[in-house]
Amino acid sequence: MRYRYIAFAAVFALVVATGLVVPVAGQGAKKYNAPKTPWGDPDLQGVWNDATSTPLQRPGNVAEKGTLSDEEAEEFQKSLAFDLSRDRRDGGSAADVNRAYNEHWMDARRLKITADRRTSLIVDPVDGRIPPLVTPSPERQRMRAARADAAARFAAGLPADFTDMSWPVRCVVRTDVPPYLPTIYNNNFQIFQSPGYVTIAPEMIHSARIIPVDGRPHLNKGLRQWLGDTRGHWEGSTLVIETTNFRADDGVLFQNANPATFTITERFTRVAPDAINYEFTVADPTTWAKPWTALIPWNKVDPAEQMFEYACHEDNFDIVHFLTGARLREKNGETVGQRPARAAEER
Amino acid sequence: MPTRRSSVAVAGLLALMVAAPALSHHAFNAEFDANKPIKFKGTVTKMLWVNPHAWIYLDVKNPDGTVEEWMIETGTPNTLIRRGLTKESLPKGTEIIVDGYQSKDGSHRANGRDLTLPNGQTLFLGSSGTGAPYDKK
Amino acid sequence: MQLRRMMAFLGVAGVSSLLAVGVLPLFGQQRPAAASPFPAQYRAPRLADGHPDLNGIWQALVTANWDLQDHEAQAGPHSELTGAYGAGPAGQSIVDGGEIPYKPEALARKKANFENRLRVDVSSDKTWHALGDPEMKCYMPGVPRANYMPFPFQIVQGTSASILMAYEFSSATRIIRMNWEQAAPTDSWMGWSRGRWEGDTLVVDVTGQREETWFDRAGDFHSDALHVVERYTPISPYHMMYEATIEDANVFTRPWKISFPLYRRMEKNIQLLEFKCVPFTEELLFGKFRKQAAR
Repeated sequence: MRYRYIAFAAVFALVVATGLVVPVAGQGAKKYNAPKTPWGDPDLQGVWNDATSTPLQRPGNVAEKGTLSDEEAEEFQKSLAFDLSRDRRDGGSAADVNRAYNEHWMDARRLKITADRRTSLIVDPVDGRIPPLVTPSPERQRMRAARADAAARFAAGLPADFTDMSWPVRCVVRTDVPPYLPTIYNNNFQIFQSPGYVTIAPEMIHSARIIPVDGRPHLNKGLRQWLGDTRGHWEGSTLVIETTNFRADDGVLFQNANPATFTITERFTRVAPDAINYEFTVADPTTWAKPWTALIPWNKVDPAEQMFEYACHEDNFDIVHFLTGARLREKNGETVGQRPARAAEER
Repeated sequence: MPTRRSSVAVAGLLALMVAAPALSHHAFNAEFDANKPIKFKGTVTKMLWVNPHAWIYLDVKNPDGTVEEWMIETGTPNTLIRRGLTKESLPKGTEIIVDGYQSKDGSHRANGRDLTLPNGQTLFLGSSGTGAPYDKK
Repeated sequence: MQLRRMMAFLGVAGVSSLLAVGVLPLFGQQRPAAASPFPAQYRAPRLADGHPDLNGIWQALVTANWDLQDHEAQAGPHSELTGAYGAGPAGQSIVDGGEIPYKPEALARKKANFENRLRVDVSSDKTWHALGDPEMKCYMPGVPRANYMPFPFQIVQGTSASILMAYEFSSATRIIRMNWEQAAPTDSWMGWSRGRWEGDTLVVDVTGQREETWFDRAGDFHSDALHVVERYTPISPYHMMYEATIEDANVFTRPWKISFPLYRRMEKNIQLLEFKCVPFTEELLFGKFRKQAAR
């Protein structure tokens, strides 16, 4: 493992040293005239998949943005695929349990780096990393501490009640909260268009983000939603959407950003018959030192492949397994401190 | 990200955990015990093709001849469907081998870490499905 | 004199024929309806592909979600705590012929459903779905119930090969695959919908529904053999007629039909809002498994 890192870091340093910096494929980079709907909007319709192994943040400790040559890219992809493969059984039983299942339960496309061979999904800042975190207010620190305690109880398998579990575990929201990020499976979105609207239906958890593009204002501030309230407009052939009105619940937004100060803009550009560039910029002055932007390619899914229903709460037996299991083990004298709690940050 | 020297594998994985919330949505070793690995053969009595986890119910024969029912937690059925499999793909009566980890509370529930047929073939991969996307329009 | 009689006759004939058009039983009602306020042949605006434009936000006004059949007003759950809040209004049956044709043994199960509609017990996976109205548990309602819940839904119809129906209740969605042969690969809560056009009517064939959904709060139910065929017909700029034929040989003695109008929501800037009801159900479902305070 260490040897592999050294080899990779050496390659990477070489890339940087030679000043090999290639502009990232963005909205203007490709001249593709997207077809239009009969009412004149650029056509984004279809089923799209955003799985990739390219990490959100650039691995290693390099400040330059960059893309890789064919050979470097192949090595990068192989290295990531090895890390991510669910069929490997090494690394001890704790790691093994967490891999959960065989590889065929996962989206195979998540073992491929992006076609443009970037080393991170983040394109701004140029170091490919999330900006430094801002010191939270005392109130947010208290909330954070409470959530960390709940996460520790959950990680020990001893949640006190359902509120100790995260919103995704409770099947309230999953990958449907923007920004959309690749995950281990069901990385699918179906885009529908109708006059005056663009609609994005993510697979997990079923919902439809029906976005007016007719210039109407957002909902008033008093109407807040788990997925916020989204309005869109076209800038050339790019759909630009802004989302506001997020509910105040803690722990919903990415990296537990503050719903009161969080803003997000997302952009969709059809750059090829089978590709959309999805770009998002998030900002939260009470969470990150500055805004940051990521670019994630969405690849058109084989027409024979489709979206399927992802019901979650309906058969979420695990909530009860966790709680009844915890009560039984507490009866047998187990406490949270007895097992080393994982430091993993719950979403 | 901490700047201490860590392998790409670990750094990559950590970065990915930030990028892939669903990975951390369910820390499996919160529910299943890394110290209680199980491996046995069982006969499928039914499979629930439901989200967020599909479940395989197995009858497992003990050495003393008694039969225990086990519930094996697996992944999302949507992925299998996209590989061309259906609810007929694991018929009742199929013998499978489960290599996994038992629930921390000691119940007859386990994480289906590695599921194979008795001949060693990975379950669901090329056994009944063709692996091709479901393609009858 | 003859001319006047002729004109009177023509006048009467004219009015009669107008009335005849008006009382044309468009929707299989048992008794002749009063003259319809709708033009007999309403022609909806078209999308570019020539099909009627069904885009919009629609909602039913019938009280069928309480009970598909005739129902009197009823006290709500725990009225000793909530009084008239949550009480149920009266409503007339939306079932053709009035009654659902249950097999006698199935009627017993409906009664049991109704008696247990407010009970839940999720302590065992195997009996997880045995008790309680799935609506109360915030489970997706299935078809046709989703269309007569007291919440709006939106039809998103463009040029793709599918039409999306998005329901405010639980953010449920269903994709209507147009002219699609493939059957449901597995069962789902909102079913597997395949659509086609018959003139100006969108016909949707729904199979593969989870057997656990109910038709209403009265405990009306079905098995996994449920087959629903829906018909959506625009009849005015603001109304769409909805019919559904329901077939399930395990539960009913014959197929039966429901129908009611869907109304276009006309508020300025109307949009679907969120009704993510999972958090409203967690205490009910999971509260009893909480760690109790140490004495």
